[in-house]
Amino acid sequence: MKELSFRNDVLPLKDRLFRLAMRITLVREDAEDMVQETLIRLWKSMQEGTQIDNLEAFALTVCRNLCLDYMARREQQNVAFDEELHDRPDATRSPYDDIVRSEQSARLNALINTLPEKQRTAMQLRDIEGRTYREIADIMQISESDVKVNIFRARRTVREHLQRKGT
Amino acid sequence: MDYKYIEQLLDRYWECHTTAEEEQILRSFFSQHDLPAHLAQYAPLFAFVKEEAEAHVSDNFDQRFSQLLAEDDSRQSARRTFARRLTLGRRVAPLLKAAAAVAILFTIGTATERAIVGSQTDEGATAPVLTDTYVRSADVEAVLQPTGRTTDATATVQKADSLAKAVLPFSENE
Repeated sequence: MKELSFRNDVLPLKDRLFRLAMRITLVREDAEDMVQETLIRLWKSMQEGTQIDNLEAFALTVCRNLCLDYMARREQQNVAFDEELHDRPDATRSPYDDIVRSEQSARLNALINTLPEKQRTAMQLRDIEGRTYREIADIMQISESDVKVNIFRARRTVREHLQRKGT
Repeated sequence: MDYKYIEQLLDRYWECHTTAEEEQILRSFFSQHDLPAHLAQYAPLFAFVKEEAEAHVSDNFDQRFSQLLAEDDSRQSARRTFARRLTLGRRVAPLLKAAAAVAILFTIGTATERAIVGSQTDEGATAPVLTDTYVRSADVEAVLQPTGRTTDATATVQKADSLAKAVLPFSENE
């Protein structure tokens, strides 16, 4: 049996976990905290001998669940937090994340971040991470048809936004 | 130019009927310049998706795990040293175990046969063949015993080596 290493098998998952955590929590620091927690839990599970068939899918599942728990706690603590996020100016380079976006991409990013969590997570996992519908269903612990419904709705919102702005 | 194919793909995309490959085709198409107006309006989505795939953790993120990494790295290098010494033994072991089992049977068979047959010279013809494959059961026992320590592993490999040479004259050297 292959010996698993934190450096080679677990740590390389950090970026794709981060992208998911960022899509859910919307705040870089929070997202990185969630990724850290996920990687540590993953490592502990592996050391305890938990059988993991698909490490990446398992990691994304753990990450999402941690983010959802965190969001629920955060919302309890600060009801006004959501409003704060939406009022934030739509900078192309936000202090909350690292990539420099075009103005159009920044607007799309902001739009997608207003969608319900299931929609933006499903779209993130499909369009940005390229996962199959089956994998997304496993990660989100919903049915494949639920995955498609959520992606359908997310894409529809995006399409209507782009058509409104278009010629 | 006929954009029918792309338009069909796009319709399927909104309906969530596209495959991953078809979505890749859409991404490639929309990364072009000089798109017709009725399609250009959708380009930002595919540009966005491409950009988002590059998001990553902060440069100093790994520092959060410096202790964990240090512990794991030293565990890994200890394992690698152990594994290198066992490689030959590990590969040969299943063959050895099978051969050893056969050899034990021959040993028992020979001993029984010699006891029963006695010193009849006609039976001596089979003896040289049996001598080639004969292994001391004590050696077989030593190889089959699981060992945990590095020094035992080295000894095991040495025994496996000698057994391999004794039992498997055609075994390849790794």
